[in-house]
Amino acid sequence: MSKLQPVIFDIGWNACINCGACVAICPQEAGFISPFDTIAVDRACDIACLLCESICPTDTITHKLVEEGGKD
Amino acid sequence: MNQQYDLVIIGSGPAGATVGRFAAAGGLSVLLVDKKQELGAPIQCSGAVSRHALEEVGVPLDDEFILEPIYGFAIYDQAGAATKIDYRKLKEDEYGSGPGRKPLGYVVDRRRFDRFLMTQAERAGVETWLKTEGLGYQPTEDGRCDVFLRRYNEKITVSTRVLVGADGLMSQVGKWAGLQTHIKITELAGCLQFIVDNVETEGLLEIITGHEWAPGGYAWVFPKGHGYAEIGLGVIPTMTTHSAQWHLDKFIKQSFFKERFKDSRILEVQGGGVPLAAPLRTQYADNLILVGDAARHVNPITGGGIHTALSGGKLAAEFLIRHLSTPGVSCAAAELKGYQDDWLQALGDKMWKLYHTKTKVFHQEDIPTRDAYLYQTMSDYFDPNSEYKKI
Ligand SMILES: Cc1cc2nc3c(=O)[nH]c(=O)nc-3n(C[C@H](O)[C@H](O)[C@H](O)COP(=O)(O)OP(=O)(O)OC[C@H]3O[C@@H](n4cnc5c(N)ncnc54)[C@H](O)[C@@H]3O)c2cc1C
Ligand code: SF4
Ligand code: SF4
Repeated sequence: MSKLQPVIFDIGWNACINCGACVAICPQEAGFISPFDTIAVDRACDIACLLCESICPTDTITHKLVEEGGKD
Repeated sequence: MNQQYDLVIIGSGPAGATVGRFAAAGGLSVLLVDKKQELGAPIQCSGAVSRHALEEVGVPLDDEFILEPIYGFAIYDQAGAATKIDYRKLKEDEYGSGPGRKPLGYVVDRRRFDRFLMTQAERAGVETWLKTEGLGYQPTEDGRCDVFLRRYNEKITVSTRVLVGADGLMSQVGKWAGLQTHIKITELAGCLQFIVDNVETEGLLEIITGHEWAPGGYAWVFPKGHGYAEIGLGVIPTMTTHSAQWHLDKFIKQSFFKERFKDSRILEVQGGGVPLAAPLRTQYADNLILVGDAARHVNPITGGGIHTALSGGKLAAEFLIRHLSTPGVSCAAAELKGYQDDWLQALGDKMWKLYHTKTKVFHQEDIPTRDAYLYQTMSDYFDPNSEYKKI
């Protein structure tokens, strides 16, 4: 299995310090970004490398798998 | 017809504001936009910058943004043994707080500093728009390009000869042009820092090395003015299973500084990503150049990027003034390559050298060997006889 399953992120805004580290590491094309300088949370990411989660200094990003065939 | 400029600059940090100021002073028409309402906020920077870096680009040493003068460095190993490099002792006649003496550098408040730099750009003739986000760009047949902006919810298109991407580490402008901007996860440090009360400092930037405290990065204690200090650290995610926050908590409670930090009170929480990486291989495209963090003009050993943003910004403006003064000149990628060549010669080659030094340290698999190597590299880097400019 080569293709990772798409994920949708949830950011715990209470701990987020709007530092942008998640955006800086993200290999997505331009625009995968929220109005608060974080990675986007309103659509699925099909790269699903999860680098954004690992760089977050406050460990405040979590994800859910999105079912193939794409509801959610 | 869309409003026309010689330059449109996206991002008014140290890099963008400096390009703007010099370009406008050199006669170009410049629009500088930033999506923020308050520049520099939320703070994602410790604000250490050398006096030389400010003087070199004609920034007055103004109380408006200076928090505290700096006179040197202290580099600690994991156990707390230190190399102190205090210029008040090394060169008493030159450095100090007394009459006729000067500091080596400053810790600045980035909110005030960035605003100050934008004001200077504006006074030099730059048109500045806050609350204006860059959304994209498109080269046009007349050899110029259109830049798509959103200002207070209104979509606006302007036309420019060159678009300058000065939009920082999260840069999207380079991605618009399809440039290879990706940072390796092994080269971006996740950083967290607290501004604290009740921690004494002595006019030195303190750097604490050691895998135990900051795997892949380092910890620091900086003076912050008004009797405050900043305690921070950065870690490389692949070298730890914990967040920067976890490591910072451990550093404060368990390190050889635990007594010193015992009564600390947190006044502000800040953070960010610091690239300990090489500059971008290609920093230009059709009608477009990148400066500052967007081009990854960051010191790969210290993570410092204010000095390089300022000097790279000046250099970019000088190139553009020269280039655009030829009537009918093309701004295709090949013609803008000269900017990167100038940059490599003035700054970049040294940065690549630092990058190779840094890479050698982190290629050491054995942790104690790597720690010893990092401590030595940091101490050498800040040595008064080091070949690199300080801070
Ligand atoms: C925790 C931390 C500590 C640091 N400490 C130091 C230090 O002590 N000394 C030092 O020299 N360096 C330090 N640095 C590095 C330094 O902060 C950066 O190198 C420096 O800010 C780079 O300046 P810049 O002008 O390139 O980008 P930035 O200062 O990041 O400015 C970019 C600007 O672009 C704007 N922008 C972004 N996207 C858009 C868009 N689409 N439309 C409009 N505007 C946009 C942003 O709002 C921002 O104002 C630190 C960094 C971090 C994260
Ligand atoms: S999983 Fe990877 S590609 Fe997707 S948002 Fe996070 S960093 Fe970006
Ligand atoms: S890395 Fe974490 S703290 Fe920083 S902006 Fe992203 S979600 Fe927020």
